[in-house]
Amino acid sequence: MAETLILLTIGLPWLGALLTWAAGDQHPRLQHTLAVAFSLAAGMAALLLIPFGKDQILVTFPVGGAFGDFTFSPDGLGVFLAAIATVIGSLAVIFSVDYMRGEAQLGRYYAFVLFFIGAMVGLVLTTNLLLMFVFWEITALTSYALISFHNDDPKAVAGGIKALIITQFGGLGLLIGALVLFSNTGSYDILTFINNPAVLPAGALAWMAFGCLAAAAAKSAQFPFQTWLPDAMEAPTPISALIHAATMVNAGVYLLARFFPAFEGVPGWREAVMAVGMLSALLAAIMAMVATDLKRVLAYSTVSQLGYMVFAIGAGGVFASQFHLLSHSVFKALLFLGAGAVIHAVGTRDMREMGGLGQKMPFVRLVFVIGALALAGLPILNGFWSKELILEAGLEHGNPLWMLIIMLVVSGLTAFYTFRMVWLVFYGQPRSEVHAHDAGTAMKVALAPLALGTLTTWLLAGSFARLLSESLPAHEIAAHPTAEILLEVVTAPVTWVALLVIGLGLLAWWQRERLMGISKALTGLKNLALNSFGFEAINRGVVLGMQNSAEKLRDTQTGMLNWNVAYLLIALILVLAVLALGVG
Amino acid sequence: MTLSIPTIVTIIVLGLIGIGIYALLTTRHLIKVIVALQLLVKGAMLALVLAGYLTGQQDLGQSLAITVIIADTIVAVIGMALAVQVRRVIGTLDLRSLTSLRR
Amino acid sequence: MEANTAFLLAVGLPLLASPVIYLIGRLAERGNLKIELARWLALIALLVDGYFLFIAGQAFIASNHDLLVSIGAVSLRLDGIALLLAAAVLVLGTLVTIFSGPAVARENGRGMYFALLTAMIGTMIGLGAADDLFNLWVWFECMALCSYMLVAFHHHEAPALEAGVKYLVQSALGTVLVLLGIGLVFASTGSLDLDEIRMAAHPSTMLLGAGALFVIGFGVKSALVPLHTWLPDAHSQAPSGISAMLSGVVIEAGLIAMLRSLGALHLVTVSWGALLLGFAAINMLVGNLMALRQTQVKRLLAYSSLSHMGYILLGVGAGALMGAQNSAAGGFFHILTHAMMKGSAFLAAGALLYCLHQANGNHDPLVIDDLNGASRKYPLAAFAFSVAVLGLGGLPPLAGFMSKWQIFVGGFQTGNSWIMALVVFAGLNSVLSLGYYAPLVNRLYRHQPAEIVEHGQSIPVFMALPLLLLTLGVVLLGFWPSLADGITNPAAQSLLMLFGG
Repeated sequence: MAETLILLTIGLPWLGALLTWAAGDQHPRLQHTLAVAFSLAAGMAALLLIPFGKDQILVTFPVGGAFGDFTFSPDGLGVFLAAIATVIGSLAVIFSVDYMRGEAQLGRYYAFVLFFIGAMVGLVLTTNLLLMFVFWEITALTSYALISFHNDDPKAVAGGIKALIITQFGGLGLLIGALVLFSNTGSYDILTFINNPAVLPAGALAWMAFGCLAAAAAKSAQFPFQTWLPDAMEAPTPISALIHAATMVNAGVYLLARFFPAFEGVPGWREAVMAVGMLSALLAAIMAMVATDLKRVLAYSTVSQLGYMVFAIGAGGVFASQFHLLSHSVFKALLFLGAGAVIHAVGTRDMREMGGLGQKMPFVRLVFVIGALALAGLPILNGFWSKELILEAGLEHGNPLWMLIIMLVVSGLTAFYTFRMVWLVFYGQPRSEVHAHDAGTAMKVALAPLALGTLTTWLLAGSFARLLSESLPAHEIAAHPTAEILLEVVTAPVTWVALLVIGLGLLAWWQRERLMGISKALTGLKNLALNSFGFEAINRGVVLGMQNSAEKLRDTQTGMLNWNVAYLLIALILVLAVLALGVG
Repeated sequence: MTLSIPTIVTIIVLGLIGIGIYALLTTRHLIKVIVALQLLVKGAMLALVLAGYLTGQQDLGQSLAITVIIADTIVAVIGMALAVQVRRVIGTLDLRSLTSLRR
Repeated sequence: MEANTAFLLAVGLPLLASPVIYLIGRLAERGNLKIELARWLALIALLVDGYFLFIAGQAFIASNHDLLVSIGAVSLRLDGIALLLAAAVLVLGTLVTIFSGPAVARENGRGMYFALLTAMIGTMIGLGAADDLFNLWVWFECMALCSYMLVAFHHHEAPALEAGVKYLVQSALGTVLVLLGIGLVFASTGSLDLDEIRMAAHPSTMLLGAGALFVIGFGVKSALVPLHTWLPDAHSQAPSGISAMLSGVVIEAGLIAMLRSLGALHLVTVSWGALLLGFAAINMLVGNLMALRQTQVKRLLAYSSLSHMGYILLGVGAGALMGAQNSAAGGFFHILTHAMMKGSAFLAAGALLYCLHQANGNHDPLVIDDLNGASRKYPLAAFAFSVAVLGLGGLPPLAGFMSKWQIFVGGFQTGNSWIMALVVFAGLNSVLSLGYYAPLVNRLYRHQPAEIVEHGQSIPVFMALPLLLLTLGVVLLGFWPSLADGITNPAAQSLLMLFGG
């Protein structure tokens, strides 16, 4: 039964991709229908798979040789992410019915979305590291194809290629990890490795650990690879919601969580993970405070929240990080889709041209505010509970206190930029003449469940903990019932400090005119943030460097036959020299 | 000082190859390039004959030489045909004019 | 049919058929016949030849024994390497023959084209199976001879002529160096038979020099950097089917000739594998950097062949040096997948070149700007090109990823830090290559077609068919890489025996 469900959860989206593409762009309604149908079917299959999470099953397709056997295991970590990918995936597809109405080349769009969903499910369910890498790369391919969907827009194409190159570059870390594992143990099996990381010599284990950290950082847009995510916002907004908020970027966090028992013993690894998470959270939050593009604010906020999750893993709180992953997927998808409704209605992404939209778009304002409250971390929304759990984890296991303090400060910054965003878009006076209408039916159908989820997923805390604890023995996760978890959060001192900081953040925005002085003093910091703290400059430098050296190298192809002959003779002499030295 | 046959032949071989290489490196005329190639091949062919002599298999050496001559003649013919065509289509046999394909 | 006869026929049939094809082609041209006899004859010859090879190959794999055949002084051995090269050559050659039908349909000298193509295929099969050093040279030279006129096929256009001339001169120089090497080997060991040489070889300066000459001499043909300067010109100016053959199998045949001759000298020094690895690094980097800034599509693809030769060298080099089975198998697997992907890319580019330029009578090269929005009018060609190019960039679930993976695995399994570093370098190069492959795909799928696309002719069926087949193959091998094990593993074993003793 589990085997069939796994095949369905991966296979149905892929079949849907093929069929939607084959249906042809002359039949858009058929394409919309097929896409929605198959993504919903996949969602149902994934949800049906959840109960199997407690049994430790293994599904195997033997291939052998240098490729290992293709194995899948529906454990707690995998099934919940598979469920997120498919359920939010289907909501994004439903949203697309309205958002992409009338667009050309829909077949390509839906095919890649469905292809992505299947690959994401495969990524989290497989226990063969090579196969995980294959799915990892497929998600990168589909992400690139969808970011640059509007091929005629140079910014979209540039954003897509940038995302591709950066995530591929980081992905080499995962490649090295898989190669190290296979060449030392002859197998790609993740579960055996996690249960006994000592099969790898210490040096190899360290390479693998830091390689996976690099790959995870690139995929989850963490420091120092965060530059691709803001540019990826050129993608159609349902894609930003699905891929760049709720699923693909979580792959990095998933990777770290999955391999945590194996790598936690590597000297310096946990500290490095915490540092990466903390820096990403801090820098991205500051950049979100000054950004004017609505989607960019959300992008930076995604980087920041992922930073929380990464920090949590480094701090030893795997459950906390996964719980926040669940909350974040739901409320961030909600925020992105809500932003999509706004952008679709208004025609611009620039918040400076919005304002007062709440009156014309009451439904969107409602759901957006729910998502925003969750992001800021206000009780009783899901974001509050999970973020507090992370902060608590930061206090345990002998983790450095100063990092926790910074994470607390970031909570305040988060509240600030969140309310800034909500205010600029929905409240105040309209700053330009825009014709806004409320969201269409399909959009509402997609937004409502997400809003509901934001209000309720925290109730699953206990069952979720139990699922993880039973299916991931190596992770040593404690399973407490929901009520106990919630009580723990409410009574922890950290929670109250955090609420205080969030309150300060709110206050800062509300009283922003009075704080003008401070604002002016921080102009230097603001400019740094607007220039992404120099990371974009580094990016540009690398690209230009490559291109310039390539241009100069072209001059060696002189076109003069005499030169070509000369090269030949020089090579001969060099080879003879090398041989003479080698033997002598 | 009497030089043995192998030494003489070796010197000739090296000489032919040297002249051929020098010509390939310095000449600007396409026909001279083809001729230089011919010199090189003849040098290599002589080397094969010499090798046959040194190992006592002169028959083998000779048949190798004949095969090389045949193969190389075809190369020469094709090369000359192309050179003629270059003269017709491009108008000159100067290598400096054959540089439209660069970078 | 008896296996040895089948093997002999597999080598000989294309060579015998070639003059027949030429004569009949000339007669058909003169007589203004409507049916293109030359092209159909060539196709039939190749398909029959494929059948013979299949029989011989099956016998070889089943018995795990090399097939040995000789006629007079020509001795042939069907081992794993020979089978792999022959399979690649025949598959790609047949598809190119189908493609070339419409491509050269209205040109003069098409009888010669098909005759030379068939002959070139035959010589390559012979080259792979050569068991004697001088025989190897003769097959190599014959292959080169066939290719000279094919590269300069458009001999009324200056660029093609220029490319052909430079190719001829450099290639001839290479074969001269090989000849000198043969002379040294002959003088030193007294034999030309590869097995006898292997047993008689011992460390000596003459043999070291011979080996160096082999590396450089064959290296010209297998596009080692800095011997590659003829390649961008020849591969971009040749008719597109020939470009596909050149990039897909001819340079690989050069590599195999080099491996055969170096294998015979493997007792002289262990450095051969290290040399190959050194060239691998240089090829990868130079190929990618040069391709990055190209504006002509076929020239870009030509430069990228350099870097793929680098990956292949990494695989076979590690196999030769360290006896790594997976490296060698991966290298040979990459020869297969590269032939399919690069072949598909060149054929797709050729199809677009035909429809956008040649069918409208102009002789301009295909530039990247011509690709804008081409997918709207030429969906199959665009899709084939995208699949090919993304596969070349190493993205799953396509074949290129799988072959590169096998090479990487093999490299890490050697445990040698230099080779592992080289594998990481290869991975970096793969990422870099996406920087010039991906934008091509983006251009194809633009909504707004280029002007030239709007005036383009429709794509002939026989050009579309090979594209379809190659694309299917690339995707299939991407999902089931082990389908190729039957051919790549014997080849790897043959290589290891060549270099390990």
